[in-house]
Order: sequence, then structure tokens, then C-alpha cells
Amino acid sequence: MNKKKLLPYLIFPLYSVRPRRRWQYQFFAGWVLFLLFHFAYAQTPKDCHCLIKGVVKDRETRLPIVGAILRIEGTPLFTTTDTAGRYKISNICQGKYTLECRIVGYKVIKTSIVLEHSAEENLNLSEDEVHLQDVEIVARRLQTLLSQKSSLLEGQALELTRGETLGDALKRITGITTLQTGASISKPVIHGLHSNRVVIMNNGIRQEGQQWGSEHAPEIDPFIAKRLTVVKGAAGVRYGSDAIAGVILVEPDELPKSPQLSGEVNAAAFSNGRIGVVSGTLQGGLPQWKGWAWRIQGTLKNGGNIRTPDYFMANTGVRENNFSITTGYRNNRVGVEAFFSQFDSNIGIFSGSHIGSTSDLLKVIQNGEPFIKTGFTRNIERPNQFIRHNLLKGKAYYNFNGNRLSWTIGRQFNRRAEYDLHGPQAATNPALLFRITTLTSDLVLDHKPLGNGKMNGQLGLTGLYQYNFTDGRPLIPDFEQTNIGIFGLERWVFQRWELEAGARFDWRQLDVFRFVGTVPDPRHHSFNNGSGTVGVVHTPNEKLSFRANFGTAWRPPTPNELYSKGVHHGAASYEEGDETLRPEVAYNLIGSVEYTSQRFKGELGMYHNQISDFIYLKPQAEPILTIRGAFPYFKYTQTDATFTGFDLDTQWDVIPQRFSHNLKFSYLRAYDRREQGYLVLIPANRIENKLRWSFGKVFSSKDTYVILSHLWVDKQRRVPPKSDFMDSPSAYHLWNFNVGGALSLKGPSQLHWAFSVQNALNTSYRDYLNRFRYFATEQGRNISLKLRYTF
Amino acid sequence: MSLVHTRLLVLLALVVMLGSCKKEAPAPEDENELITTVRLKFTENGTTTAQTFTWKDLDGDGGTVPTISPISLRTSRTYKLEVEFLDESKTPAENKTSEILSEADEHLVVVTPSASSLFTYTATDKDSRNFPIGLTGTLVTGSASTGTLKVQLRHQPPVNGQPVKNGTVTPGSDDVNVTFPLTLAP
Repeated sequence: MNKKKLLPYLIFPLYSVRPRRRWQYQFFAGWVLFLLFHFAYAQTPKDCHCLIKGVVKDRETRLPIVGAILRIEGTPLFTTTDTAGRYKISNICQGKYTLECRIVGYKVIKTSIVLEHSAEENLNLSEDEVHLQDVEIVARRLQTLLSQKSSLLEGQALELTRGETLGDALKRITGITTLQTGASISKPVIHGLHSNRVVIMNNGIRQEGQQWGSEHAPEIDPFIAKRLTVVKGAAGVRYGSDAIAGVILVEPDELPKSPQLSGEVNAAAFSNGRIGVVSGTLQGGLPQWKGWAWRIQGTLKNGGNIRTPDYFMANTGVRENNFSITTGYRNNRVGVEAFFSQFDSNIGIFSGSHIGSTSDLLKVIQNGEPFIKTGFTRNIERPNQFIRHNLLKGKAYYNFNGNRLSWTIGRQFNRRAEYDLHGPQAATNPALLFRITTLTSDLVLDHKPLGNGKMNGQLGLTGLYQYNFTDGRPLIPDFEQTNIGIFGLERWVFQRWELEAGARFDWRQLDVFRFVGTVPDPRHHSFNNGSGTVGVVHTPNEKLSFRANFGTAWRPPTPNELYSKGVHHGAASYEEGDETLRPEVAYNLIGSVEYTSQRFKGELGMYHNQISDFIYLKPQAEPILTIRGAFPYFKYTQTDATFTGFDLDTQWDVIPQRFSHNLKFSYLRAYDRREQGYLVLIPANRIENKLRWSFGKVFSSKDTYVILSHLWVDKQRRVPPKSDFMDSPSAYHLWNFNVGGALSLKGPSQLHWAFSVQNALNTSYRDYLNRFRYFATEQGRNISLKLRYTF
Repeated sequence: MSLVHTRLLVLLALVVMLGSCKKEAPAPEDENELITTVRLKFTENGTTTAQTFTWKDLDGDGGTVPTISPISLRTSRTYKLEVEFLDESKTPAENKTSEILSEADEHLVVVTPSASSLFTYTATDKDSRNFPIGLTGTLVTGSASTGTLKVQLRHQPPVNGQPVKNGTVTPGSDDVNVTFPLTLAP
């Protein structure tokens, strides 16, 4: 082998083994199909009560496709999809079949299925193009555990959130709330936990910024996502041990397979803050380079002062300029992809929230509203945050003998500059500047089904190297950390039962470059631990399924918990780290029941998360006296905490195709077992009722709908006594209204429209999880228009 | 090597190259807006001898507790009071007073007694909009008693480009909020 040939061999060792065969499946093109179940046929006595069901959707619009014909090749069995795109074929004998789905205007899809009891196949059809009739079948990998029910936000539901922050969009999912800093900064909270306990996978890469801070929102352009998936519950094995509360997957669309140019333009305008958002995507292939595709995407956002029902909040404007580019090559054996994205924002921090001392805070609480009120402006002054997040990602995969080896590398750079009110010395220097660089590498092998096809799974090796610089006001020291993790996950199928098990081990080294005065006083920490998960799914009949999962996860203390020291200005508290903290360990038990009938769908998910050595800020008896007066003193301390609750989600088609009702109810009780009391900042219980009318075609707008929803959030009564400067806010009711539809334009292009009114009654309220609840009420009525043009 | 190979390699090399980077050495943090010391200089009218009292927290917030020198003044006298703010964590110490003076339009020094019978304080300096600054003023003491004297440095920067300083304590936030024990004796 000469030198020229050696290099690709080293990079793609397995790929280069049989170079001639790699073109063999070149004709496989077309669109992506997700297989939920892909297990081999069992050689047991034949049972002819098998069932296959699923939903057929348009791959682009995510709208259900009505009247698609589903046929099982070689049998007389067939059915068509109903108005919700659903289909079901029963009384099939166990065996291996090919399922075909066809409807005029769409490409035919064929997929092989192995039936043992029941299977679910959600199909996404793409519109027919003359040049491409080939079909590619891609199995859905073990991205999330089946025994841990994951929640999705996609299609129309995601469209209705366009222009909002990632956190606000995720709030649509039952059990997800947000930790807010005013209206423009929101962090997702899963079952009462947030920040370092929630892992966000941005396009396959762990998002790493200064996520420990409650006023540090995820630096992600939500327009990148075609789908948001939330795994509620410890998901440490697959995504990193610290995913104690859950994982949020932000996934873009696959690169197009057709060389034809396509794209979309999104525009959203909001009355409150007079926010305007424009986002565009353009994608296509390279005619000369078969298999290559590209996509460019960009978003601009500009908003001014937000208005509560009674007054404007000064300096609450926002600017965002984001873009991403993707290119990749793919055939059915091998694929590579390069992705770069930049998120760039300037966020104004409500000037009425700037306090210097505890007495300032008490005065504004007593006043009930900000002392200084202003009019509308788009200018952003101090205090503000400039945040830039760059992500460069490379991904390669190789399919061989039913196995798939994939390698993902990423480099992230996050620069967060926080400007205080002060000048002039700091006119150019921010009061706080964080620069964090993270390199990640994930090597994952999805092995081919083993044991007669009854077992499949994956093995992985992940690495992370990170270093952080903090300049300005002392807060957290510079640090450097390395994390190596190995994991394995397997799934077995027996009749109507599925079992899952996984294990992971992580090694973490943390070096902290601490200074005492100007004298270096470095510290080294080493944290090693294992985590595991076991789960079961039982489907006794076609309508009912049970899931249960027990998972552990552990999280080493982060540098801010170990070494932070100083006044947290927005919170008027003096916070101090403790370098003797041990990792916290979560034991998470989740169970869910799902019932699906023709007109009713209900899902009840229950959880009990017990966290040993839970790290939190504990109030100390003596305040700290500073030059700005006395501040309450909080120290990072460990306790044993439990988070117990349930999420209920029901969907009832009262009049099929016309009128439906949706209920979302979430309940959570968090308890500090060592102190025998409650924990602070736990989201209050809430109920949301939604009524939806579908009108079909109204004038030239098809799929027209009207949604009326009401949200009730209870007062959080479970708060530790004397833990806060003010009582937790009262319960509130919010009414929202949406109307929308789609217009067919020339050719394949479509215009989707949605008109919404949030907080329709202009209710004045405060939320316990908003850090600005001391200073101002929440934002008032917000009328918005969202347009999405696809071509 | 096929064309596809070359393209894949170029793509991969690009990712690796862009991903590599240089690292700098860690450095201690440096807060440039720190105030560690409040110094009060009292000069009784008609005399030239000054009495100085300080409130000091040299290591900034937390750590060692601040040292506070108790103020003792004579009853029913008129004093000229000069307030100074210093950052003594640096060598040499930085005097922040001139900086405050240069931004007088958005700063106000407020001196308040714990009981109104202790003293009255009237600022004698004015900013460009004719509002008091409070760095220098006249303090008139009352009858023999004990209590406290609070010094606040209010930062009152413009909001939305509109000045908010109006001579009262209300707008803005505390840059300094310290309390001295005070004894008035004949």
C-alpha cells in the first residue's frame, strides 16, 4: 500500500476494506424513514394477532397525510390512513414483511418490518420528484431509550413557537417549565431541575457555555431545529453522566437528497417589544458531485423594550444575528458532514433590576413596581450581555455488515461579556468576561442485531476537553477539565416485552487555577463514577403500553459550586463555593402508562428522583457585611433531595376532524430530606386546557384551525420559610389564542400563517421562577403574526 | 485516490484545522470597579484640624470582616464633611473620588442619621444640572446621644438616555452603603 492510499485507510479504516462495494447501494436515494422497531423475526410458533400501526406525515410540513395506502406485500392486508394520518393493520401473522406506503404526489416508501407482537412505524413521505424514485430506509438508532418516554415538538406545534426563545418553545411540553430572567432570557427546567443538570445536545454536540448561571440561557438559534426532543428523567448513560434531569435534543433536518434548490423563509412579528424575527434556509445539492448536499441558514432578531400590562421595562431589548452552514456527502455506506454555526446576541438587562444592596431590593419590592419607568426604545444600554457561541462540528459514519460506526467531533467557543452599569474605566471592558472552549469527540458503534435479531444496541467512547477563562470581577477561577466516558446500551425483545439496560463509566479531571490575591494556589480534582439504566416496555394490547425505567446519574460539582465567591447582584446574595463538595448522585425511577384508542389518547408519566448529596445554596445564619451593606449569605451545601411528581397529557377528539380537547397537568413536590423541608425555586403545579377547532379549507386557506388555551399556574406554597425576600407570587390564569392555516402557492410552494395572542386578557402576574419577580410583573398581551414560506 | 476521497479528506482536514487553537496562561482576576474604603473627614467650622474616620474592607466582599472606626463628634457644632472613596486593594491605592466627581451627573452621596435629632447634612457641591453631589457638605450636630451615620453612594445613570438623577435618593442603586457608629458628646 503506497503512502497515498494509506491516509484514507487510516481515517476510514473500515470504510476502505471493501472499496468496490461501496457504490453498490448508490441508487438508494430519497427520503428518510424512521423505524421505531427493527428486530428480527423470531422462530417461535406463529401468532396471527400481530399489529402494525403508525402515523404517516408529510416530511416537509409534518402535517398528517390522509388517504395514503399501506399494504403488506405478499398478503391481502391493506389499509388507508385516517384524517389524522393514522393507520393500523391487525391480525397479521408473526413474520418478516415489507410494508409499502403510497399516495399520489408522494414517493412510494417500502420498509421491511419484523412482527412479533405489535410494531409502530411512523412514516414520513416526501413529495415526488421526477428524478428520484429510489427509496432509502434508515433505521432509527438508539437515540433515546424506549422505556423513557420522550416528548417531541415538531411540525405545526414547533411552528407556533417560531420567533420565541428555545426555553419558551420547550415550555409547550408537559413537565417543562422555564427559569426566566425577564422575558428575553429563559432556561429550560425539567421536572424542577435545570442548568448543569440538563444536557442540551445541539445538533449532536453537547452544548457547553456558562450553563451554570441562572441568567445564562442556551446559546442556540431555535430556527436550526426541525425537531425538539425532550427526555425527561436521568439519561446519563447515553448523553453524559450529568444528565440528571434529562436531555434536550435540538435536531436539524437531514441534508436534502435532491439536488434541487429548496428552502424556507420564516418571519415573525410580535407586538410586545415590537420584536421582528426573520430566518431563512436555503439548501440543495451539487449537480456535478453526486451525493453532496449543502444548507445555509440565518436568523435576524431585533426587539425593544418589553411592556408589562402597566409599564415598559427599561432596557429589555434584544438583538440576535445567527447563521449556520452545513455540507455533507452521503451514500448508504458512508457519510460525512461538516457544520458550522454562530450564535451572536446582545441582550439588554432590565435596568430596574439593577440593585446595589439589600436595602435597594427591599425598597423596590415595597414599591411594587420599578422606580424608573420609560417609554419604548430599541436601544440597548448597560447592563447588557454580549454572547457569541461558535460551533464547528464534523461527523462521519460508516455502515458495514449491519453495523454502523459513527464519529462526531466538535469545537465550541463561547464568549460571554457581561456589562455592568459602571463606566468609565470599564467603558470598553466588560465587568465579567467568560471565554470557554470545548472540544468533544464521540465514537459510537451501533452493532447489528444479535441473538436471532432479538438484541441490538450500541457501544460508545466519548471525550471532552474544556478550558475556561474568567476576567473582571472575581466570580469563578480559570479552569481546565477533561472527561472520558465509555458506555454500552442494549435492548432485548421478547413477545410483548422489551428490556433495556445500559452502563457507563466516566473519568473526570479538573484543574482549577485559583489565585489568592496575585499568588497562584491551584487545585486539582478527580471524579470517577459509574452510572446505569434498566428499563422495560410492555404492550399487553394494541391500545395500552406500560413503560418503566430506573436510571442513575451522577454529577461532579462544577467550578462555580466549588469556588465561586462574591455577591450575586440580581439575587442580592453573597454566594460562596465549597471545595470539599462531593459529586451528587441521582436515582431516578420513571413509569408511564399510555392508552391510545381511535378518539382518545392519554399518557400518564410518574417519576421519583432521589438525589443524594444534592448541591444547592443554603442560607447561612449570619449575613456578610460588604461596602454595599449586609447581604444574606448563601453557601453551596449538600443535602438529600427528592423530586416526585407526575405529568398527565390527554388528547380527546370530541368531534373527529373538527374539535378536540387537550389537557396537560403537571405536579411536582420537591423535598429536602436532611433539613426536613422544601427546596427553593421549584416550579409550581399547573394545568393547561386547550380546545382546537379544525375548519379545513376556509377561502383559500387549507387546514385552518383555531386554538384557545387556558393555563393555570398555582402559587408555589412549598417554599422553605424565610428563604426569600418576598412571598412566592400568587396563582395566575393566562389565556392564549391562535388561528392559522396554509395557502398553496405556485408549484410546490406554500405559505403557512399563524396569528396568536398570548396573555390575551393582559393579566398582570408574577412567576416564582422569574428572577425579576421582585422588580416587575410579567410581560403583558403579545400579539404576533408568523409566516412561513416554503419552496 | 478517487475524487470523492479527496473531497472527504479536504472536508475533514478543514474541520480539524479550524478546530485547533492556541491557549493562553491563566491570570488572576482583576476587579476595576472595587471600592474598599470610605473615608470621612470632619473639620469643625473655624478650625483647621480635621478628624478622619474610615470604613475599610481591604479584601473586598467576604473574607476578612471590615474594620470600622466609630465616629465621635461634639454636640451642637457645625462641621465641614468631605467624603472620599478609595480602592486600597491596589498599590498604590486608587482614589475613586475624582472619578465620581467627573460623573457627578449620575452620582449622589447621601449621609443619613439613624435618628433625625442626631445631625443634619446639607451638600454644598452641585453637579451640572444643579443637583447636589454630596461629596462635600455641612453637617450640623444635635444634642448628646449615640446612634449611627449611614453613607450611601447612589449610582443614578441615565435610563434610555434620559437622566434620572433628581436630587433624591430614590433612583438608581447603591454603589456604597455603609454604616458608622456615632457618638455625640459635649
